[in-house]
Amino acid sequence: MLYPLIAGVLFGLYFSLVGIGLNLVFGVMRIVNLAHGDFLMLGAFVAFGVYTAAGLDPLVGVPIAFALFCVAGLLLYWILVPRLQRARDPEMLSFILFFGFSQVIEALTTIVFGTSERSIPSRELANSLSGVRAAIFGGEATNGPFQIFGLSFPASWVVAATVSVIAIGCVYLYLYRTRLGTLTRAVMSRREEAIATGINVDRVSAAAFGIGLGLAAVAGVFAPFMFGSFTPAFGIDATVTSFVVVVLGSLGNPLGTALGGVVYGVSYMLVQTYLSSWADLLPYVLLIAILLLRPSGLLGRRVRVA
Amino acid sequence: MPPDATSLLDVKGVDAGYGTMQVLWGVNLDVKAGETVLLLGANGAGKTTFLKSLVGLIETRNGSFHLAGRDVTRMRSSDRMRLGMTYMSELAVFPDLSIEENLKVGAQALGHANPGARAEELYGIFPVLRDKRRNPASSLSGGQRKMLGIAKALAAEPKLLVMDEPSAGLSPLFVKEVIRVLSDLQGRGLSLLIAEQNIGFLEVATRVFVLEGGRIRFSGTVAEMTDNEALRRAYFGLK
Repeated sequence: MLYPLIAGVLFGLYFSLVGIGLNLVFGVMRIVNLAHGDFLMLGAFVAFGVYTAAGLDPLVGVPIAFALFCVAGLLLYWILVPRLQRARDPEMLSFILFFGFSQVIEALTTIVFGTSERSIPSRELANSLSGVRAAIFGGEATNGPFQIFGLSFPASWVVAATVSVIAIGCVYLYLYRTRLGTLTRAVMSRREEAIATGINVDRVSAAAFGIGLGLAAVAGVFAPFMFGSFTPAFGIDATVTSFVVVVLGSLGNPLGTALGGVVYGVSYMLVQTYLSSWADLLPYVLLIAILLLRPSGLLGRRVRVA
Repeated sequence: MPPDATSLLDVKGVDAGYGTMQVLWGVNLDVKAGETVLLLGANGAGKTTFLKSLVGLIETRNGSFHLAGRDVTRMRSSDRMRLGMTYMSELAVFPDLSIEENLKVGAQALGHANPGARAEELYGIFPVLRDKRRNPASSLSGGQRKMLGIAKALAAEPKLLVMDEPSAGLSPLFVKEVIRVLSDLQGRGLSLLIAEQNIGFLEVATRVFVLEGGRIRFSGTVAEMTDNEALRRAYFGLK
């Protein structure tokens, strides 16, 4: 019982990272980015490229993926979103637009890279840090399993969970300790009031969209290690998982995603351990259960009707 | 038609509405520097629609807005505000942010150099907010929330403060307190445009525009309004 619980927390922290970008974008723009999982999939290709083409530790892919997709997010925002928001029904149009965008990303990635599954050996993640690990925890400078309460866990899971905690901490610092972050929370609190206050809502939204895509791509760097392998079609599953994590925590409250992620991760590991043939149903069962029992999510933030 | 050079705000022939529904029909209005103008009208007269089109929340179909001599009709909201106009909506505050954050956001949004120092100045005018500065705005009573809304709108040190029904949802005691605060702001040289249905605000007004069915039915001084028999009947219930 202890093993699936600890593994569930490690996976859960990672799932928080998977969902937090989607929630940040929704919180600020009231738009569900249905292509979120596809940016995650592209992040996995960044890790794969860093490892196979450059021969580097896939962890190097984290800053590269974040910077690359932040810039891509900013460009995409200025191309797509202002036009979208001038439409009569931007919420409905955003569903169609981002669904189409998701299909285009998947199709283009399939054309370029093919449909075959790709993976990276688990021991390669954070291999360059094994010396640091030996200095902190003792033992030899290898990238072997981590011992937690006497149980062994793959180092890649611990690294993914650690990076996820750091990323969520950075989102917290951005939202609560920076000027742009405070303006972002103001937009999340009441968008129309933010416009009426004179906040440049486009600037705030573009930053949130860039950061959201950057975080998705960072989560993608760890996808080959958390799920074993990936293909261009992986994006749709990742979007569904992200959506469940976000709705579980609280739609529109990025930090609620951390709770949603841990609940999802623990449930995922318990089902994998005791009822593995049912594991694929888990996201949908959790989604239906939370919508029936507590539609505003576990943290219960009131969600405005757009 | 060129804008009136003496006006801080000059509105000419504004038509506005939502979708296929037109709400405002050829509205003309002006506010001179240091003036307090009351836009008086019943529920549904078009007051909020007018203010929303003034601050750029809805598009203007015809007509123009000139602020400090510049045509702002097609400008986005944040650029209009940077010319020295702030807006207190009926909701007025960000409920999820603390009181201090609300004040700082009001200042930061328009590029104030020192939002922290400005918040301290505002606590001097609104001491009731100082003790609760770390509390979320949602924890305030209706009257206190209105005070925070006024303080937030003042944070960027505007030349013109535009207010949508500052008396809405307040007890008569708090309405008097709001009027007292507005009177104090008037003394500091601030220009005010107040949309209201509460005639108590005539106390601070220098001129009045009456809006009915989306059209301006009267404009003049407070004395001229009280001399108008039809308006006296409609708004004061007097024969």
